[in-house]
Amino acid sequence: MDYLEILDRSTAGAYISEENWDLEKVAMTCMQLVQKFDLKWDRQTLVPNDPALADRVFAAGFELAAAIGAYNRSSERVLRFERSELEDGLKNMKISLTMGQGSDERVLFARKIMDERAPLVWAGNPGAPHPEALFLPAVMSWAQEPIVDLITCGTLAEVDGREVRTGEALEITATRRELTYLHQALARVGRPGMGMLAAQSSVSELGDLAAAHPAYLRPCDAHLVPMLNELKIDNRNIARAVNSIEYGMRNGGLYCAIAGGLGGDAPGCAVISVASIILGNLTNRADYHILHPIHIRHVATSTREVLWVESVVLQAFARNAPAIIVADVYPKSGALTRELLYETAANAMLITVNGGHLEGCGSADGLLPNATGLEARLMGEVGKAVSRQGVTLEQANQWVLELLEKYEHIFKLPGGYPGVRFDQAYNLETLQPVPAWAGMYENIVEMLCGIGLKLSAS
Amino acid sequence: MVNEILYSIQNALISGDTEAAEAAAHAALAAGLDAQSILNDGLMRGADIVGQQFEAGEVFLPQLMFSARALKAAMAVITPELKRLGGEGGTGRQGLVVLATIQSDIHDIGKNIVSTLLTTGGFEVIDLGVDVPIKRIISAALDACADIIGCSAMLTTSMPFMGDLIQTLEAMGERRRFKVMVGGASVTPEYAARIGADGTAPNAVQALQLARSLMLN
Repeated sequence: MDYLEILDRSTAGAYISEENWDLEKVAMTCMQLVQKFDLKWDRQTLVPNDPALADRVFAAGFELAAAIGAYNRSSERVLRFERSELEDGLKNMKISLTMGQGSDERVLFARKIMDERAPLVWAGNPGAPHPEALFLPAVMSWAQEPIVDLITCGTLAEVDGREVRTGEALEITATRRELTYLHQALARVGRPGMGMLAAQSSVSELGDLAAAHPAYLRPCDAHLVPMLNELKIDNRNIARAVNSIEYGMRNGGLYCAIAGGLGGDAPGCAVISVASIILGNLTNRADYHILHPIHIRHVATSTREVLWVESVVLQAFARNAPAIIVADVYPKSGALTRELLYETAANAMLITVNGGHLEGCGSADGLLPNATGLEARLMGEVGKAVSRQGVTLEQANQWVLELLEKYEHIFKLPGGYPGVRFDQAYNLETLQPVPAWAGMYENIVEMLCGIGLKLSAS
Repeated sequence: MVNEILYSIQNALISGDTEAAEAAAHAALAAGLDAQSILNDGLMRGADIVGQQFEAGEVFLPQLMFSARALKAAMAVITPELKRLGGEGGTGRQGLVVLATIQSDIHDIGKNIVSTLLTTGGFEVIDLGVDVPIKRIISAALDACADIIGCSAMLTTSMPFMGDLIQTLEAMGERRRFKVMVGGASVTPEYAARIGADGTAPNAVQALQLARSLMLN
């Protein structure tokens, strides 16, 4: 099925109001499927070793996709798909995708549960607004880490001291400048061919079109094509996907189902996440998939609900429809806090053992420039160690619970736990963590070594 | 008997059952209950309970939305009686809010939850949707004689348009007619103050409290 078919169905499908889509279609159907497939979760079993559960989650997600389809918010039409079309889409999903070029080229692949092949490490904090002066050093702090395979970044909210506004002239400038900084950063650390997920400063078609040039986003790079909550697309994002197809670039389908949202609790969020990937595979023309469930209150991917969702969705695809799934790590805490490192470690070990690749860290909920290369290093080290050691699902679950005990208190803090800005956690001249931040890193490496996870640094 | 009727109204709200809420409102009026009492002791009490359950994580967004739908249906039943009792001002509503995700932004989950909680909290809400141009928000607020304009932006590159909205209201000489509340993941109290908004809230529950406090000032 090509994108022309998606365009046709976006105008020819049945009309439904958005409110009725949300309630009558998504919420009601999801609620029924959670009951039908007997989907339950346990706050103490965040990494289930229950193949039947993973299969039921997949079956429920597939049934949701087949039963209701996707919704085009622009045209208020429903895009329905035959089961055979969804199945063909799954069979044709990429299970290998080359990113980057030259000696920096990396190959994303469909990972398995407890896969001995290490996850790829995609470093950066997509969406986090950065002052222009901090953008380049922040990206360099990630790109210089040898364990990092691929790069992404935050956004430029200002250029030349002026606010960037979506859909206006400076969006073009911001998008191109972001990419210029990225190429500079990669060149300075000696990794010019590293694959990128970028043009994060592009929200509208203006930025997107401005970035589709080899001097900015190369064909070996990717950009985001999000599915909107829940199971929705719009013409703007279809245009983004088509721009990529015409240009020859990769589309990263982004799915941010909300735990506590229209699907209800974690099981419903998992069902919607599975359906999102199955549908986004067709509607978003996704070359690979980015799993990023969100907690309705706490946002972070390190909450129990989201951790469980990540586990069962990754397992569901690994067992039923191998796919390239990169899972986002968006901790609540920010730089120069121990909790950020605990959250990162928990997220990274859980994603790795369940069959995902790693992307992050969107520290401080990805809302502030309070992320550094150090937690990305930890994310990668944990992921590589988990695969290298052959950590089991049960062991990962126990460790995740131990780490939760160390950071879960932050969800009770009214203002979150944002930590400090990049330039307070890193020395901008040496691009190394300040001693206090480096010390916290050493402590968690020791702690993880103590419980049995041997990082290469330990 | 009275308690039973009010209890059934509350239950209909809590279970988000639109037909039951309508039927209970009709039954309450037929039994001679005062419309204001139906509103305060039945509908609003039920809505409060759902709001508290949502805040505590005991129920989720769909239940909240179904409750809002049930409340609207029951309000349609009792509003004529409320108006008859209190004249044009007697609709029982706490205020009228025009709500929108500001132009260029399409993120609406937070805005939708605020809309639902405002509705269950007794406000009349005109939700204009997402990516709404400033001119349309102002025009809708003027046409509806709104008390509050609420707008949200998740993207930092959309946030400046919320400041533009306030400046446009000032340029039009209409700023004093409305309270303006702003929201979004990156919106802080400092940002709200900087652009001249009347307030912001970190979550939907506090947005309802803010709207209520704005109506008192």
